[in-house]
Amino acid sequence: MWLWFAKLGSPKWFYELSSKWLPWLVGAMAITLAVATVWALLYLPPDYQQGFTSRILIVHVAVAGTSLAFFPLMAVAGTITLVWKMKLADMVAKNAAALGAWFSFITLATGSIWGSVSWGTWWEWSDSRLVSMLFQFFLLLGVVSLRSALEDSDKAAKACALLSIVGCINVVVIKYSVEWWNTLHQPASPVSIESGSANGPEFWIATALMILGVYLFMSVSLILSTRNEILRRERRALWVQELLHESD
Amino acid sequence: MNLTDGIQFDSFAAFIDMGGYAFNVWAVYALFALFVTVNLVAPLRQRKALLRDLRRRQTLNQRSAESTAGVAVDEANHKAERVET
Repeated sequence: MWLWFAKLGSPKWFYELSSKWLPWLVGAMAITLAVATVWALLYLPPDYQQGFTSRILIVHVAVAGTSLAFFPLMAVAGTITLVWKMKLADMVAKNAAALGAWFSFITLATGSIWGSVSWGTWWEWSDSRLVSMLFQFFLLLGVVSLRSALEDSDKAAKACALLSIVGCINVVVIKYSVEWWNTLHQPASPVSIESGSANGPEFWIATALMILGVYLFMSVSLILSTRNEILRRERRALWVQELLHESD
Repeated sequence: MNLTDGIQFDSFAAFIDMGGYAFNVWAVYALFALFVTVNLVAPLRQRKALLRDLRRRQTLNQRSAESTAGVAVDEANHKAERVET
């Protein structure tokens, strides 16, 4: 068990394993995203109230749901950094913060574009879901700038780990905001077996497929940037020097 | 089952129009496509630049290692010559 744990934390081991896994992940990502997008755009029946703007929700829900995974992921990686000082965990956490900021921004933008039709407004400051998601965006930008502000990389890793753990509170707020405060943003619709509405089977199957695709995309992007980070931080290691002799 | 059966639009123009919400629907999907592309292409380009930089450093290091080794060999030769004469 501990051997496995130590192995997992080795950048070299991760680099070699991800080299093998990447083609499969990229393939699965491409197929899932393509099928989900074509299905959502061409085949999805219009919602009885929202019409074709319900197509927006497939993307919005998938990106928003995935954006909530970043703080828990960074908190777990941060705990591993703090307790076991595992190098790999911090490399993942560093890249997750930047990607998470992107996810939060796209969530806000797509939600805004949908809201401009369905709610008649692009933004509503009194809505807790909107404001807490905006807060997550700023928090993630904060983690990114905290790291670049601290010169000592060891201190930076620890500070970011702490902020990531604290930041998880906001994820809970985002998740339950629609139930605690009743404002503009609707709670997640219960799954329905009736077709023709935005919670019918065609919608949730398409949404589930899109969520899978977006999670795969998140993994691929994170693995790619983590591999770069490994090469950068381990550039003096013998295995990296040997790797440079091979072609890409 | 025919693949065109479930398509919700009668014409390409209707598909583009999205029931009058062309701007909103297409803006979201364009943004999504951009988001995915940028976050895959950027790390790949970074990797290319990184590998180029690391390879350049490696050759520089090897050259300097070779030249210092060369100096050491020269000095050893000089000493040997002096001993001989």
